[in-house]
Amino acid sequence: MSKRPFLIPFLVPAILVAVIFLAALAEILQYSFREFIPGSLDVGGFTLDNFARIYRPVYFKAVVNTFVLSLATAFFTLILSYPIAFALVRTKVEWVRTLLILLSITPLFTGEIVRTYAWMLVLGTNGFLNTMLLDIGIISEPVTFMYTRAGVVIALVQFAMPVMIIILATAISHINTDYEKAAANLGARPWTVITRVVIPLTMPGIISGFIVIFAWTMSAFATPQLIGGGKVLMISNAIYLQGFSALNFPFAATLSVIALISAFASLALMKLIANRLERQTAIH
Amino acid sequence: MNISNSGHSVDIVEVTKTFANVTAVHKVSLNIRKGEFMTLLGPSGCGKTTLLNMVAGFETQTSGAIQIDGKDISDVPPYMRETGMVFQSYALFPHMNVFDNIAFGLRMRKLPAREIKAEVERALDMMKLSGMEGRRVRQLSGGQQQRIALARAIVIRPKVLLLDEPLSALDKNLRLQMQVELKELHQKTGLTTIFVTHDQGEALSLSDRVVVMSRGEVQQVSAPIELYTQPANGFVASFIGEINALPKARCQKSGQDFRFEVCPEISLNGRQPARQELKDGQMVHIFIRPEHIEIAGPRHNGANIVKGNVAAHIYQGTHTQTRVNVPGIGLVELRTKGAAAIDQAPLGSEIALSVPLDEAVILPA
Amino acid sequence: MWRQTLFWVIVSCILFYMTIPAIVVVMTSFNPGEILSFPPNGFSLRWYEKALTYPDFRIAFRTGLIVALISSTLALVIGTSFAFLVVRYVFPGKNLLEGILSSPLIIPHFTTGFGFLLLGAHLNLNQTLTIIIMTHVVLVLPFVARAVYVSLLNIDPNFERSAANLGASPFMVLSRITVPLIIPGMAGGWLVAAILSLTEFSASLYVTASRTQTLPVAMYNYIREYTDPTVAAVSALLIIATMLILMLANHFLGLRKILAIDSH
Ligand SMILES: Nc1ncnc2c1ncn2[C@@H]1O[C@H](COP(=O)(O)OP(=O)(O)OP(=O)(O)O)[C@@H](O)[C@H]1O
Ligand SMILES: [Mg+2]
Repeated sequence: MSKRPFLIPFLVPAILVAVIFLAALAEILQYSFREFIPGSLDVGGFTLDNFARIYRPVYFKAVVNTFVLSLATAFFTLILSYPIAFALVRTKVEWVRTLLILLSITPLFTGEIVRTYAWMLVLGTNGFLNTMLLDIGIISEPVTFMYTRAGVVIALVQFAMPVMIIILATAISHINTDYEKAAANLGARPWTVITRVVIPLTMPGIISGFIVIFAWTMSAFATPQLIGGGKVLMISNAIYLQGFSALNFPFAATLSVIALISAFASLALMKLIANRLERQTAIH
Repeated sequence: MNISNSGHSVDIVEVTKTFANVTAVHKVSLNIRKGEFMTLLGPSGCGKTTLLNMVAGFETQTSGAIQIDGKDISDVPPYMRETGMVFQSYALFPHMNVFDNIAFGLRMRKLPAREIKAEVERALDMMKLSGMEGRRVRQLSGGQQQRIALARAIVIRPKVLLLDEPLSALDKNLRLQMQVELKELHQKTGLTTIFVTHDQGEALSLSDRVVVMSRGEVQQVSAPIELYTQPANGFVASFIGEINALPKARCQKSGQDFRFEVCPEISLNGRQPARQELKDGQMVHIFIRPEHIEIAGPRHNGANIVKGNVAAHIYQGTHTQTRVNVPGIGLVELRTKGAAAIDQAPLGSEIALSVPLDEAVILPA
Repeated sequence: MWRQTLFWVIVSCILFYMTIPAIVVVMTSFNPGEILSFPPNGFSLRWYEKALTYPDFRIAFRTGLIVALISSTLALVIGTSFAFLVVRYVFPGKNLLEGILSSPLIIPHFTTGFGFLLLGAHLNLNQTLTIIIMTHVVLVLPFVARAVYVSLLNIDPNFERSAANLGASPFMVLSRITVPLIIPGMAGGWLVAAILSLTEFSASLYVTASRTQTLPVAMYNYIREYTDPTVAAVSALLIIATMLILMLANHFLGLRKILAIDSH
């Protein structure tokens, strides 16, 4: 009688999925070293040319752009999500809690396309926002949100928020409210309690939320594609351009490899910084 | 339920269990007789649960053998061992009601539904739980959950009943009541029982024999009275009940009489202890229980009297525990009836104590 | 008191920002004209009619539903058994396998999609349902495994030991004790997986063709070609359906539990 009777039957499907997934990634790697034959979907022999090509400013810029947009999105998402998460955990009114959770989680499940399309309606030249601002009289002619980085970030932040809210709410709900009571009892004002007790205690949640959103934004595609409209180019859009307009699969594969490497490298970097931060703020 | 003649013996032979780098159980050998109520007693982490888990088959021993009725069961998987275990947390299945919980083991044995119903009802009746069949287990009190866990374990007519601190989650009154019920249950069923606890009161009052364990090793296996009056070593002496450990003393033998020099100023007289043959000049440890020390009065004839200052009184209702600082020995505790000692010997006052060695435990150092 | 008021004003503003796109989509979907205008100059259901009768959307919705049901169910089976292994067993390569299977959370969807496009070409499964389902299983598997993993951690291992002690074979323990106790986690994981699959876009764009496109891909193609509010009508329907499903899930399973937000 085996001690682990389910090991083999349960392991086989998981391994199968892992192998298929690795095979897909291996295909990308393999293509990135192949020669592009213009006008054909077949690829040529081994070459390193694709990697030489990524030093061109346009691709380099896409990499930097991706990094900057992801940082900005993670930052604003954090700022806007914290109050919601706090309200969600601490409200004592059941319907408020339910409303908050429904409103803040729904965007997570409507998908990239619905959300992006909705923001196109809001941010367009004749869109909701411009019409409102013109009506109120704050502006005298439409502001350009579409095809700008600001527009892309505005949309990206909104759909990064649900994930951030979940992470922060979990962290906040794990703080014992006695700490806050003790701080208040010792004479700390509400704002001081927040900055000196609540935020430090939720630091691990803040850090992991920031990293998750950063990674999540690096893989955004529909939003920069539609709202950036080719003017705001992230790596994802460059790959799509190469793959589907130029039909240059080898170079698209090379850019994918770069995307993967930069995703993992920046995650590793952030983890490193996070560990430092966490050690400084650790309260145990 | 008539399972009184179904007792089985359990033998644990030189069993050792090592986790990564901790030896949880070390060379433990025990023979548990048919129908015996055997208790494993010891401080937290001494390996009681690990030993029980090995009997139930949840852990495999690193070496040694476990036998039921003389047959090695090491290769028998847990679900074929026929042991009935009650967990400290009860582990009642939360997605089943009371009836389904108790019936679970019988269903696994594929008994006909009618028989299962009858058995479960009998078990419920025995545990005074009739009428609770349909209840969800979450809605029950601690004592009721405890009884259901017991009913679930005994209804399968196990060869041995394994109880891992089953009473520790209950409050004090309920625990005393359940002790009585456990004892009755044992008498009714005659099941060979291994009971784990770190509560010595429980161990002494329930068991036929008690196994005292420390750091994975057996210290002593005895009936409760013997355990209290004749502890085998210093660990058992100080673990069971309260006891004063005097400083190491040198033994001087003269015929049947002994003198123990505790320190240059203090010597105590005694007779040959029951267990050990003492030699002249040997070093010994002397242990004496607080209730055997008295405040010296006219009827004490001057022998075995020591003097000290009262350091504290701890009033405990039926008795008072008094701490006396005796130069050359240190703190000595004695126990006197009622509260008289508090008035008789105020804090700080000098007091003479009679320390008879008749009932002291004297062990070679 | 004013601090409380200020706090709730801020919270309301942020919530407004989060919900405004949905509100605008719904408003737009009832707009009678082809050109978007605010506020709408009337009320019409013509875009709903167009959305529901537009063949591309109908076919794409059906395809997407089939893909979502199959891939989330496959992910449920594979993810549940894998989570069980992770929680209960020790075996060589466990961490590696865990790392590989959870990496789709970090690896951009378009990379995964591109990889499966190339793999599909290699295996002659180019843009077939098979390769789309494979892609979606890989993408949603971490969510199911995670949900089941949390449920498994929350059950007392003594339940399983106790069942074995009472005579239940490993298979019986699994089917009578373990699975019933993690059913809520499995249901939550399956639901999340199904919704994510239904709405997945970036990877699907790579692995689907016009015959096999899923709804988000069909919507994307429509947006690039036309500017009328038909997509607004589809979006409005999706948003409302999502909200309803979430409300039901909240009622029956508790969203806080599925999302593991729980105060103590
Ligand atoms: N699975 C395990 N892995 C590693 N060490 C373990 C494991 N189980 C128990 N131990 C160790 O073995 C020793 C004995 O543990 P055990 O649970 O048997 O003690 P116990 O006597 O039942 O204690 P308690 O009274 O606290 O229940 C302890 O040091 C414990 O840390
Ligand atoms: Mg224990």
